[in-house]
Amino acid sequence: MRQRALWRPLALGGFVAFMTVPLVATALFSVSTRWDRTLWPEGFTLAWWARVTGRAAFRDTLVNSLLVSLATVLGAALLVTPAVYASRLRAPWARPWIELLAIVPFGLPGVVLALSLIRFYGQVPVPLVNTPAILVAAYLVLTLPFMHRSVANALDAIDVRTLTEAAQSLGAGAGRALIHVVLPNVATGVVNGGLLVFSTAFAEFTLANLLVGSRFKTFPIYLVEFTRFDARQASALAVISFAIAWAASLVLMWAAGRSGAGREAVTMR
Amino acid sequence: MRTDGSPRPGRRRRAAAALTLAPFFLFGLAFEVVPVLTLVRSSLVHDGAITLANFRRALTPVMLASFRNSVALSVTTAALGLVLGTVVAYALVTTRRRSVQRALTALADVTTNFGGAPLAFAFIVTLGSTGMITLLLARGGIELYPRFRIYSEPGLAVAYLYFQVPLMVLLVMPALLGIRTEWREAATSLGATAPQFWWRVGLPILAPSLLGSFLLLFANAFGAYATAWTLTGPDVNLVTVQIAALVRGEVQFDPALADALALLSLAVMALCVAGYQWLTGRARRRAA
Repeated sequence: MRQRALWRPLALGGFVAFMTVPLVATALFSVSTRWDRTLWPEGFTLAWWARVTGRAAFRDTLVNSLLVSLATVLGAALLVTPAVYASRLRAPWARPWIELLAIVPFGLPGVVLALSLIRFYGQVPVPLVNTPAILVAAYLVLTLPFMHRSVANALDAIDVRTLTEAAQSLGAGAGRALIHVVLPNVATGVVNGGLLVFSTAFAEFTLANLLVGSRFKTFPIYLVEFTRFDARQASALAVISFAIAWAASLVLMWAAGRSGAGREAVTMR
Repeated sequence: MRTDGSPRPGRRRRAAAALTLAPFFLFGLAFEVVPVLTLVRSSLVHDGAITLANFRRALTPVMLASFRNSVALSVTTAALGLVLGTVVAYALVTTRRRSVQRALTALADVTTNFGGAPLAFAFIVTLGSTGMITLLLARGGIELYPRFRIYSEPGLAVAYLYFQVPLMVLLVMPALLGIRTEWREAATSLGATAPQFWWRVGLPILAPSLLGSFLLLFANAFGAYATAWTLTGPDVNLVTVQIAALVRGEVQFDPALADALALLSLAVMALCVAGYQWLTGRARRRAA
């Protein structure tokens, strides 16, 4: 009996240790004076944090990443919500095509997406290459599955057709029915999708590095530069990055708990 | 109640639907379909004729080695992720403590979204040559270095497990929850032992979702670049690292070559994702 009970705490304890030790180590490293000869940091300091956050580039890259991520969230909501709504209401033929476009990015490695965008927009006379706009477009492709899944789940949880027809029978136009009746009901889905989109876009490195690189430095690019020449300051940046991803997830879980809806988290790296 | 006698003509409705759908499909065409098709075309065309010559030229010994390395890394981390993730998920599903189950599912939820540069860096701090765990093990008499290096393929595998294991936990939990205790009880009352139950009943039920999850984990590792680049730079020869080097123009730039490589990796990924979709669809239909 004792043997049977023992494997569970071992498995769960091992899992928790593996998932938390790297995070704790990074956080400790960012506030330690020196930590390469002793088991415990030799002393604590906030100097690395002060130095790395004091740079102008810190603020600039943080603002760049925030702008790109917010633009992606806004774009994803505006592209996906009306299309999924229409496919549930008036155009069922569109549904499989929308689902196809929303599953393809799962099978599209970041490097391949970057290459295909550079190749195509390098030969057409549209000035997109090397601009933040193409980065936002790439992030929209990358995060399409998240926004689509969240919005589709939310829409399928309510009876869109009946709701819309009820609104229209009371004299509302299609647009008003969407804005005043359907949207409030799918708002949780859009917010859930938006948070996933935000945390994915904020932490993304591959596309940012290959599509815009040093012309428009994002926060993850700044972080990778620091890992090459100052580990302590890089660790402070890594902690910030983890904290933002953690905060987005906490809000997500809180929202999911409130609406009682689960979510399917499937991310690609 | 449907009110089909509403005054709006069907044509206007269809036009409105087309207008709401148009931005999505135009975007999908412009940034997803057409660019990828451009890659397909240019990889298949050489001197104005359709040919597989680009693929032959692309598969130099170095590139073949990169595919071998990528497949090996993906199979290893997917298999380990599958086993470890299933054990953790089973422990979570069968635990009587609700709070533990909720807290650890949340932990998996958050950590599977961690990755890329910060993750790679966290592992340098933990398992690098002067990392926390390295120092701890050295104190205990176990010298990790120089036999193990975090900046190498085995090190990369450890870092990949950080997002593979929690992803597996999340993927397999619904399937494990679907195994009813009544089935277990029925099998036991008919005289089956626990291994017999798992071999004859549990595993066949879980098989599609386990195989599907394996494919998704494989694709997850195969397409990864940021973690590998931050951790090992150009030292480890992976397909994504090779393609990125071609994109950045670090090596002599041959567009058709890069396109052929990209298309090959795309084919590997597409097979995995399609297989995953098919298998989870099967599992869902069976559950219904």
